[in-house]
Amino acid sequence: MTAAVLDVPSEPIVQPEPGRRNRRQGRLAWIAQHSIAIVLAIMFVTPVVYLVLLSLMTSNQALTSDYWPNTWHPENYVKVFQATPMPRYLLNTVIYAVTSTVLTLASSVPAAYALAKLKFRGRNALFLVIICVMMLPPQVVTVPLYLMWARYHLTGSLAPLIIPALFGDAFCIFLLRQFLLTIPSEYLDAARVDGCGEWRTLLRVVLPMAKPGIAAAGLFQFFFCWNDYYGPLLYTSENEKAWTLTLGLASFRTVHHIDWNLVTAATVLAMAPLIIIFFFAQRAFVQGITLTGFKG
Amino acid sequence: MTAVRLRRNLTILSFLAPALIGIAVFFVYPLISAVYFSLTKFDLLSVPQWVGLANYKRMADDPFLLQSVRNTLWMVVVFVPVRIIGAVGLAMLLTNLRRGASFFRTVFYLPALVPPVAATIAFVYLLKPGTGPVDHFLEKIGIDGPLWFNSPTWAKPSLVLLGLWAIGDLMVIFLAAVLGVPESLYEAASLDGANAWHKFRSITLPSIQPVILFAAVTGVIYTLQYFDQAAVAGSIASGQATTGAGISQSFGYPEGSTFTYPLWLYTVGFRYNALGYANALAVALFLVAFVVTLFLLRRAKAFSGEES
Amino acid sequence: MNKRIPLALFALGTAVVLTTACTPAPKENKIAPNPGASVSGTVELWHFFTEREADAIDQVIKDFEASHPNIKVTVKSGQDDSKVTQAIGAGNGPDIGLSYSTDIVGKFCSSGAWVNLNPYINRDQVDLNQLNATTRSYTEYDGKRCAMPFLADAYGMYYNKDMFAKAGIAGPPKTLDELTEDAKKLTVKNPDGSLKTVGFLPLSDFYENAPAHLAPATGAKWLTADGKSAVGTDANWKTLLTWEKNLIDWYGFDKLTKFRAGLGDEFSADNAFQKGQVAINIDAEYRLAFLKDQSPNLKYGVAPIPTADPARYGGGYVTGNIMGISKNAKNPEAAWELIKYLTTNDAAVTKLANLIKNVPTTQKSIADPTLNGDADFKTFIDIFNNPNSSTTPPSASGPAYQETFQQFVNNYQAGKVKDLDAALADADKQINSVMTLGG
Repeated sequence: MTAAVLDVPSEPIVQPEPGRRNRRQGRLAWIAQHSIAIVLAIMFVTPVVYLVLLSLMTSNQALTSDYWPNTWHPENYVKVFQATPMPRYLLNTVIYAVTSTVLTLASSVPAAYALAKLKFRGRNALFLVIICVMMLPPQVVTVPLYLMWARYHLTGSLAPLIIPALFGDAFCIFLLRQFLLTIPSEYLDAARVDGCGEWRTLLRVVLPMAKPGIAAAGLFQFFFCWNDYYGPLLYTSENEKAWTLTLGLASFRTVHHIDWNLVTAATVLAMAPLIIIFFFAQRAFVQGITLTGFKG
Repeated sequence: MTAVRLRRNLTILSFLAPALIGIAVFFVYPLISAVYFSLTKFDLLSVPQWVGLANYKRMADDPFLLQSVRNTLWMVVVFVPVRIIGAVGLAMLLTNLRRGASFFRTVFYLPALVPPVAATIAFVYLLKPGTGPVDHFLEKIGIDGPLWFNSPTWAKPSLVLLGLWAIGDLMVIFLAAVLGVPESLYEAASLDGANAWHKFRSITLPSIQPVILFAAVTGVIYTLQYFDQAAVAGSIASGQATTGAGISQSFGYPEGSTFTYPLWLYTVGFRYNALGYANALAVALFLVAFVVTLFLLRRAKAFSGEES
Repeated sequence: MNKRIPLALFALGTAVVLTTACTPAPKENKIAPNPGASVSGTVELWHFFTEREADAIDQVIKDFEASHPNIKVTVKSGQDDSKVTQAIGAGNGPDIGLSYSTDIVGKFCSSGAWVNLNPYINRDQVDLNQLNATTRSYTEYDGKRCAMPFLADAYGMYYNKDMFAKAGIAGPPKTLDELTEDAKKLTVKNPDGSLKTVGFLPLSDFYENAPAHLAPATGAKWLTADGKSAVGTDANWKTLLTWEKNLIDWYGFDKLTKFRAGLGDEFSADNAFQKGQVAINIDAEYRLAFLKDQSPNLKYGVAPIPTADPARYGGGYVTGNIMGISKNAKNPEAAWELIKYLTTNDAAVTKLANLIKNVPTTQKSIADPTLNGDADFKTFIDIFNNPNSSTTPPSASGPAYQETFQQFVNNYQAGKVKDLDAALADADKQINSVMTLGG
């Protein structure tokens, strides 16, 4: 329908100024910006490099403040697989992250759309309530929720982590609402005039335009679930078969000692898929931003 | 109600139904529980006993409450704006880079992927006074470095530094927002002779205002709940062994400077068995977050639905 | 604004509350009159240990299963106190919980989360006197015995023999005054005045210097008979604190904090004592295993902590792990058999102590020749047995009184307290307040 009108640019939209007068200024600015970027990049990457270096040390050296391994132990990565059933934890983590993300988006996008584009009484109150969902400290929320899940005998599994995804996530709804607000109503009106119902409008017209916002929310949710420690700790720690990677990381710790080199090795392994996903997702995400974009 | 009206209401309901159930079960229920438990003496192991407003009155006698409130307020006032400014700045930097934008984007985002506890521990070790690499570097260029996480004045700023390092998630949102500002607006401004700063101030900023609002509101809400990094940083920097949840027995090291409100809530509720009191603290926190959020939303006229 | 939506949400939420919120009522535990009447079934045990220590426990449990063929034991490791509390609160829970500290005894005994063991003890005629008196005191609360001591830790003083020889000190200090003297002699400063090596680091939140571990030095008491804070009224605390503060002032608080900031983590190979940066350090018997593993070349000695009064010398701080049967236990009889085995069977306790290298708790196991053969370990056994040793009394609010006092001591040492007497009286009020925040 109207999607054909929207061209997908392949470069970031902001272009440097043309013109001779500006070229010298442009050059200086270019150098300045790139130098800053390089310095920042070094600062951002250093702690991550440090974690990788830690993962290649012996256990004894890893807890000291040395930052260069005396001896190199890449076999730590193999040890991580031997010490704990990493493949199972990985599978659980993937199940949790993927289903939670898909379900969260499926339930949050319609709610965000309704809040952004549909008029109904109580819309503002509902918006406020949704933001309020984020305001209760988790330490206090977990007690009644844990009691509830225990009563239905669902603790010791991933269920208490995945089932809530069916019912939306406040952070995602808020984020998606803000992005959806920027889609000009003209497109929606045109669709309605064409005879589309609201669901049709959402699925056919809005979703393609909202891809970057949905991708952003999806990435958030996915990375949050992947790195979630307290959720799995609360609900699955009593059943080792349901553990996720984050719990597996914590198992390298005894009462008086922590195998910090193995923890960092496992951390690096757990991060690797996320880095790869992000690298590919961000290209698609930047390129998916439409000409009309996020105005106002 | 006419048939059309009914159909319309049902349609809207169908959009909202999952979220409504979610709110009822995962928010209203815990909220009611929290309010209920805050009015009881409760330790999770025995039947709760009604005590009315006693828990709220106890807050006046709580010797640790004031310090925890101060620390958390400091974090909210400093951490939230600094992160927003940093994220917008990085987003602008990334939009101006052409070559290697992909690479820099990934590098700047990378730290956000590191699990918070591992990230905190790495930071504490990197900034370790005397033996850490940062201090070695500062020594070489002749600066006498601060004690970072071991100094009562520098501990919270060090936590802010940690938060800035992990700014990738916020940066990505602002990047999406900034990239979406229509080119035509900038071109028009160029013709009027505006320079880069003018363009940023009068075009970019107003255009991304909804996202700034989002960052401010979620930033305040989550900083009020700031716990993990403060607890882990305090205990790792003190060099002591940890009891559960990464807190050492001498919490808030050094000199109570990393002692945040949620940390106290957790300690008093789950380690000192005063769960009723902890729920009262939680309800109080909720009310503060609610008031601040309402203020921010009203100010930005967020309720009109077409913020600009 | 429309009221219908929020009201609907409220109604739905209340419905959820009514169907799920209640805590289950406690079960009445009737115990069988006939002991050993072919006890059978499965028992679930939760503990917090992992790796080597968990393996040790598994070994001994296999022995138990061999001698009790009708009982099968399932072990879940890595479960801490809050997990056990949550599970029991939700009506689930293991049959047996093994906690690595004594913090929960007060709450678990008074709330009945762990059942009263006296009926079992009386029925099976278990002789509690074979257990060390201190361990008995930290496994009961308010007259209810809901726990048995598993293995114990005894705290003493480690000192660097090489550094002592270099400084010309003959033997370990026995009084606090001697400790101050030795600490000053052993301290080495850098040319710019900063500290290079410290004889004894008196900061209270450093490593194992917590007030609880130093209390035996002056015999300071934590609580009065009616469970209220005694730090303001027991003069021994003032003695301890002023002694520590004088030493801090001699070093200079800022210099000391700067020095401390550069020290390694307590449980890393960079441990300040193991690296020779601190000559005298307070620690427990588990440090021996670390020294053997990480610093085999360090010549160290072990002794009881110095005391203010020479008559009190020989004791130290004692604490330990504890076990109890949860009120939701599906098989309390079998659970009791396992606890009895792990805490009173001399062979089992001795084996555990040898494997985990903690102090055993029964009289016979304490006398075990293998453990006593190691001179350093024997020092800790002696400390454990010494009548001047003390522990931290159980309290319904767990470690609240200790941690509140720790914050007070930190402030005092940082120089924020002008009048110590008044401040200690104030500390009493604060501690009492925090202990009763739960009502």
